[in-house]
Amino acid sequence: MNVIAPAEGAGRDVERAHLIALLYLPGLGPLRLRNLLAACPDAAELWWALTTPAPSGSPLARRLRAVELRGRVDQLFAAWAEAGRTVDPKAALRRHRSAGVELVMPGDPAFPDRLHDDEDPPTALFARGDLSVAAAPTVAIVGTRRATPYGLGIARRWAMALVEVGVAVVSGLARGIDAAAHDGALAAMDAVGGAPGPVGVVGTGLDVVYPRSSARLWSEVGRRGVLISEAPLGGGAQRWRFPARNRIIAGLADAVLVVESHERGGALSTADEALGRQRPVLAVPGSVHASSSAGTNHLLRDGALVATCVQDVLLALPTGGGRSPLGTARTQGSAVEAAPRRPADPEEAALLLALGWEPALVDRLVERTDWSLGATCRVLERLVARGLVVQQGAWFTQVRE
Amino acid sequence: MLASISSAVLRGVDGIRVTVEVHVAGGLPSFTVVGLPDASCREARDRVRAAVVSSGLPWPQQRITVNLAPSGLPKAGAGLDLPMAIGVLVASGVVPSERAVGIAFVGELGLDGSLRRIAGLVPLVEALPEPIVVVPPDGQAEAMVLGRHEVRAAATLAAVVAALRGLGPWETAARAPAVPHREPVADLADVRGQPMARRAVEVAAAGGHHLLMVGPPGAGKTMLAQRLVGLLPPLDADAALQATKVHSAAGETLPEGGLLRNPPLRAPHHNASMAALVGGGSAWLRPGEISLATGGVLFLDELAEFSPAVLDALRQPLEEGRIRVARAHGAVQFPARFLLVAATNPCPCGNAGGDRYCRCSAAARRRYRRRLSAPLLDRFDLRIAVHRPDPDRLTGASCEEGTEAVAARVAEVRAITRLRGVSANRELSGGLLDRHAVPSRSGRQLLTDALRRQRVTARGVDRIRRVARTLADLDGARGCELAEEHIALAMHLRADTDQLLGVDE
Repeated sequence: MNVIAPAEGAGRDVERAHLIALLYLPGLGPLRLRNLLAACPDAAELWWALTTPAPSGSPLARRLRAVELRGRVDQLFAAWAEAGRTVDPKAALRRHRSAGVELVMPGDPAFPDRLHDDEDPPTALFARGDLSVAAAPTVAIVGTRRATPYGLGIARRWAMALVEVGVAVVSGLARGIDAAAHDGALAAMDAVGGAPGPVGVVGTGLDVVYPRSSARLWSEVGRRGVLISEAPLGGGAQRWRFPARNRIIAGLADAVLVVESHERGGALSTADEALGRQRPVLAVPGSVHASSSAGTNHLLRDGALVATCVQDVLLALPTGGGRSPLGTARTQGSAVEAAPRRPADPEEAALLLALGWEPALVDRLVERTDWSLGATCRVLERLVARGLVVQQGAWFTQVRE
Repeated sequence: MLASISSAVLRGVDGIRVTVEVHVAGGLPSFTVVGLPDASCREARDRVRAAVVSSGLPWPQQRITVNLAPSGLPKAGAGLDLPMAIGVLVASGVVPSERAVGIAFVGELGLDGSLRRIAGLVPLVEALPEPIVVVPPDGQAEAMVLGRHEVRAAATLAAVVAALRGLGPWETAARAPAVPHREPVADLADVRGQPMARRAVEVAAAGGHHLLMVGPPGAGKTMLAQRLVGLLPPLDADAALQATKVHSAAGETLPEGGLLRNPPLRAPHHNASMAALVGGGSAWLRPGEISLATGGVLFLDELAEFSPAVLDALRQPLEEGRIRVARAHGAVQFPARFLLVAATNPCPCGNAGGDRYCRCSAAARRRYRRRLSAPLLDRFDLRIAVHRPDPDRLTGASCEEGTEAVAARVAEVRAITRLRGVSANRELSGGLLDRHAVPSRSGRQLLTDALRRQRVTARGVDRIRRVARTLADLDGARGCELAEEHIALAMHLRADTDQLLGVDE
């Protein structure tokens, strides 16, 4: 499924190979690498300058020291010289290609447009899958790993609804909200032909599945959408990679939706990155008692857009450029609002009233209705069968759509 | 001279009759015991000799040989002390042999000649064909449980000898109280704000359905299990005797009057070894906790903390109602017909699936989940999540139904169930299930829907029908048809295990 256009000529390949090799150098993060590349735009030349032993004599190395490298220069050069003997740029490129991972650089046709004019663009992106899905209108759905049934349900259902109207869902493949969003996007692809695949942006190398429990989701996203990372194969789950990953999520999205977040959390850093890029940030309000909504409620207090339904998200997407899904969204939205499936049966209506809009246990429903346990379960089962109520574990929640 | 005295030894929960043959003849003074005695039995030599001498009776300074017949059967325990002593005294002419005819003896001797109680008097006495049995005084009630023998007791060896020679009286036994005495049980009225859990406990008691409770610490799982046993009807004559035999063989204290009439509650700790749980041990094959729970409730708290091998060993008894324990020197069978009630946290921190945050990683949850094998979890007809009750419901006077009212309903259902030819609805299967548990039209619709949505499995449907039958019985529905309401509730009472244990995939 790899449809990334091949680079024009072998020259680009040499550059790719050396760029990958540079990314394997210890102590050389994206920021430092970008500064060095600004001083010496040719990756092959930079590689040679950094990894040749005793480079202090070379005029290029002297220039590089002046640009960026201060402090531990000699140790770094020693380590790089060592790495220069072990890392073979051509072999590294071959290894990525054979693993189905393509390297795209700014200037490549496949490089996402939105990142071209980013304030902090990646030097290189590793991708597995079809990068062109990132060209569709996109919404990032992010949130806490410690999510509640409330947030998981919203992330999944709204992701489905967005994908069904042609909006690609970007997320980070973490547990909780991220996983639910990707899961919903994949489910919508099953239901609607031609729907855009999910975009998964991860912090580790594309062969380092993190968290391990997401292995199935990783392979599905890579197969039917695209997996993106800044790290070369083998890149571990170092802490600094995740905030860096969040900035790419924000950079790739037309709008960022935070479904649930605790008072502190990675989702809030994604929201910050989005604000810095003038992208709309939406938050789903939650109960004031819920720790899992403390972060999102905080965002709302600070002026984030309120997201109470999928239409709120669609309305926040920028118009124009011929790629807005708003037209379809409006018709879709009115269809949803026009036909709410209210039950005619008085028992079912009474139980829905007792259920309200927060997850509840059967025990509580029995107390609220004062019905027998059997009668409560009978009516509840009917509502579940009709899709008006969803069950998650022992909890029952009323859903609108 | 030769004497032959009748007694019995324990093997598993059964007594085996043993004839103690004593031969006293001229030769160098010695005392030998043959016939496969184990250590405790061989030590009888020293106890018997000391007891006879300190009772002021003459010890023959001759060659004494004791044979325990049948000699091929290994014998364990100190219960043969008394018959050996009587045998020696008869063989040496202290007690006239005709006085010991038709009498069996069971009991341990102290060095001062006192008689001590031994474990297993009920099965031991059962194995004895003699009309008269002599036992230690504190075992008298236990020995009389069967009611087949004339049970005589004496406090010391001297008193036994005196009574045999007609020089003294036997101790009289207090008759067992006729009315079964029910100890005060924990009342179900204490469980408030948890209608689902209360109903599950009631259904488990009425239909004998095994119950799994999953919930955070402090949700009241142990409290519910303790109340369940109070809902069970008193044991009938056969069950009481069987339970009493097992308890007697295990050396457990029996209630006043000897007969165990109340269903037992056994709650072994999760560090219990295989032998402790299913029975065994090296020399003396002792019944385990599952056999002691026969007729009552086996409560396994912290199910996931039990060793997986121990839990797997429960599968045979759950199917067959008995357990066979085999050792190199033989195998025995113990009854094990119990109601299994298990409780577990959903995950190591206990909060998965509840209203608080689970702090466990997905891997930790899956690891925890793997400790509970699918075949074992499938045995539970009832699987419920127990949540902390609403605190508002816990204050003020309880208006919930108490144990007495619910127990009456349970007893009624058990009576109906016996008319179907089974002791509990749990045992309904095949044709019986088709005859007595037919889903109504709307109920069938519900089951088909649930099957299509993969909410239940085909095998789960039978279990749901059984539970629905019990629910219908409890509601007084006498027809064979199962209402939609009962099927819906039965489905809710058998939650999906993955959902209960908070495993996502």
